[in-house]
Amino acid sequence: MLVYITIIIAVIALVFEFRRQLMMLQQNSYRNDRYSRWLSTSQDSTSAMRLVSGAVLLASLSTLTPAIWISAGLICAVSLTNTIILARKKYKKPLVMTRRASRILLTMLLLAAIPTVICLFVCQAQEASLIFVADIILAVFCFSQSFALAANWLLKPVEANINRKYYQDAERILRGMPDLKIIGVTGSYGKTSTKHYLNRILSEKYDVMMTPGSFNTTMGVIRTVREYLKPYNEVFIVEMGAKQPGDIKEICDLVHPEIGIVTAVGEQHLESFKSIENVQRTKFELIDSLPTDGLAVVNNDFPFVANRKVDNVKCIRYAVSECGPAQYIAEDIRYSAHGTSFTVVTPTGEKFGFSTHLVGECNVSNLLAAIIVALRLEVPIEKISYAVNDIQQVEHRLNMKRTPGGVTIIDDAFNSNPTGSKMALDVLKMMTGGRRIIVTPGMIELGERQEELNAKFGEYIAGAADIAIIVGHYNREAIISGIKSTDTTSLDVHTVNSFSEAQQLLATTLKPGDTILYENDLPDTFK
Amino acid sequence: MKTNIGVFFGGRSTEHEISVISASQAMHAINRDKYDVTPIYITKQGRFYTGDALFEISNYRNIPSLLEKCTEVYLKPIYGDYNLYRAKTGGLFGAKGPVCTLDVAIPVLHGTNVEDGIFEGVLETIGIPYAGCDTLASANGMDKITMKMILRESGVPVIDYVWFTDKQWFSRRDELIAKIEEKIGYPVIVKPANLGSSVGIGRAGNREQLIEKVDIAQKYSSRLIVEHMVDNLKEINCSVLGDCDEYESSVLEEPIKSAEILSYEDKYMGGTKGAKGMQASQKRIPAELPAEMTDRIRHLAGETFRVLSCHGVSRIDFIVDDDTNEIFVNEINTIPGSLSFYLWEATGLSFDKLMDRLVQLALKRKREQGLKTVSYDQNIFSMSGGVKGSVKGAKSPKH
Repeated sequence: MLVYITIIIAVIALVFEFRRQLMMLQQNSYRNDRYSRWLSTSQDSTSAMRLVSGAVLLASLSTLTPAIWISAGLICAVSLTNTIILARKKYKKPLVMTRRASRILLTMLLLAAIPTVICLFVCQAQEASLIFVADIILAVFCFSQSFALAANWLLKPVEANINRKYYQDAERILRGMPDLKIIGVTGSYGKTSTKHYLNRILSEKYDVMMTPGSFNTTMGVIRTVREYLKPYNEVFIVEMGAKQPGDIKEICDLVHPEIGIVTAVGEQHLESFKSIENVQRTKFELIDSLPTDGLAVVNNDFPFVANRKVDNVKCIRYAVSECGPAQYIAEDIRYSAHGTSFTVVTPTGEKFGFSTHLVGECNVSNLLAAIIVALRLEVPIEKISYAVNDIQQVEHRLNMKRTPGGVTIIDDAFNSNPTGSKMALDVLKMMTGGRRIIVTPGMIELGERQEELNAKFGEYIAGAADIAIIVGHYNREAIISGIKSTDTTSLDVHTVNSFSEAQQLLATTLKPGDTILYENDLPDTFK
Repeated sequence: MKTNIGVFFGGRSTEHEISVISASQAMHAINRDKYDVTPIYITKQGRFYTGDALFEISNYRNIPSLLEKCTEVYLKPIYGDYNLYRAKTGGLFGAKGPVCTLDVAIPVLHGTNVEDGIFEGVLETIGIPYAGCDTLASANGMDKITMKMILRESGVPVIDYVWFTDKQWFSRRDELIAKIEEKIGYPVIVKPANLGSSVGIGRAGNREQLIEKVDIAQKYSSRLIVEHMVDNLKEINCSVLGDCDEYESSVLEEPIKSAEILSYEDKYMGGTKGAKGMQASQKRIPAELPAEMTDRIRHLAGETFRVLSCHGVSRIDFIVDDDTNEIFVNEINTIPGSLSFYLWEATGLSFDKLMDRLVQLALKRKREQGLKTVSYDQNIFSMSGGVKGSVKGAKSPKH
């Protein structure tokens, strides 16, 4: 009897652990290489939970002959503990049970069932105690990661087949809409913001569909086309993200954009790109795919955009800062409590004034790109102006708001990168009238330059903030070393383990007039 | 994949048959290369049906047999759900699931219950893009009293009037009669405030006739309006297309009448041409007027449209006093008979393009609505600090 209870509890613990591994797999985009990398860096393989379980397993196998109830008791106890620990954990980005996730989970369970069922038969044949079955389940628990990897690998052909059908369906739908104007937007950062601004401005004249949220992969685009695109849509804005070279070309081969915007070529995802030249080549896959009568709109503020020749299509270069030579520039940028005003100068010397609620030079740059495309698509200038003025700030992207308590919060929580975080600090620097506080875990996915760039980040923090709260261990040392290198005496540095700890720290000390900058947020895989 | 237009017509109103004609004309005009059309017929009992048999006007001679060829359907009042559901799922082997999903709705409904904002409210609740005045404009446009109040306030000329309810007429009749005689003077025209197509309308040349006509009118409505009657008048109609930001006026028409005022018979049973709707009644297009007056009327039509915040295609009916050349807005038809296509054809816009514009206008409005904040994501109840006063209500006053 005790044995049966033990088996049941062991299975429950296993299911929780499988779900947890599945969640990590999902957060790594179902890529075995990324998942494996996470496994090696996260020390999940040698976590306390796994080690204790392993110890119990060994103990149970050795003490088996004398007292089954001891084994059962141990396994029960450890499985119960595991279940409780896993069930109570709160994840920032919990598992989403998509059909693909269910397929993987099912496969994992089937794989786990193989040794279990074999053991069951063997035990029955040998008339041995079923406690061995519980042992097998506990063993599977200890090696849960391998099961995730195996299931994912086994299902690859199935997923590929399903994806191919969806791809062809999306192709068919797009072929049936030959008049649809398709615009691709890519860049190391700023693409989501630019997409939103472009959507708002073009909506003054056209019925626009844009890829939602973070659907910037080929599968995301396919899903948008199959589930959201409507026959009366006139413009389709496709945000194109890339984790490695070839990703953007893949999307372009599907949608065939006629206009392409490259908002930035900078240092992001360096661990998969390895070099900024690769980043440049990948982003420009969009421009390379444009037809000869199309239009490329690229941000000359970035040296690796300015130095890239474009011969295959008409190319408009824009710039906000003084450096890049460009056809369209934004000048006379002024900030106030209400937002920003700026003037756009066209290649023919015409000047148009705009005002907006958005802040930050990068946002002026993004708006400029959107304005250029809107002019090309013949949206009247008054409507462009109205739309620019109406644009609301995008959540988590340099979004400034004031709480009823008089504290200003700058929320820049989405995937940070060196240039973006410096700009956020420039905005923070300007906030006089109270203390300037930054809460950040630093930046990730910078490959070999992780330490160097976070140290630089620390230096900038020293010049812009009064209080720095560094979250987590990932970049703690690097940032602190950067701060120390500036010999600053006016910066108050705190280190905490989590965002909730940071909140608690602030709750006791905040005063009206203070400004808090939340720079970058990390998914659960980076704790 | 084509945009699916749901055309709603029929309804529980006195203008049910006219709506069937208007819708039939409209559906045949829609460009089938660009759009799919789903006809949705609302019976006089208020049930919804769809089916290809609804396209053929001759089928309406025998409604029960028409309905047998159709599928009964319904809409769910759920925001974002544009599906047309089957009223009866066909058992084990019958069809299940929705009949289709609509992309855009075009109501071609006339009269009370369907043109006064009630049906528009259903569409707004569902959130489907639709062409035509919204609840506000429909209600104000249908009720002659509110329409005049709004126009007068905005400087658009309307004929003098007095309004009251049936109960007021009963309890304060002499007072009201005195007011009418003093403020307006005979002859007057008595109308129920919120019906279309000349139902219950009568002329009164003296007190006795006034009482008689009000008694008739109040059979149809509890809101009544008495207007000064212009003796020598011309009726001029003008259609307006667009929304209150961008709109244009059509050429003018002068309906030719058989009696002193256009009667129900004049409007809909004109000539021997049978079921041809508004088009069949005699009219002069374009109306023969001096250019200045034409411009003024077209301008006032646009103003009326804008001030009442209309949408889609409407028709504004004017009264021109032949003695003084004064121009007055008489009433607005927020969903005009035959969608005034004949006026637009005379203006240079073909019927299929008119329908196309209506679809574009519907989508444009939906886009613009999406830009406004409607509700906040936060749940006030769950925020620290909570709702002032909490569940026990606001602080009770000290006794």
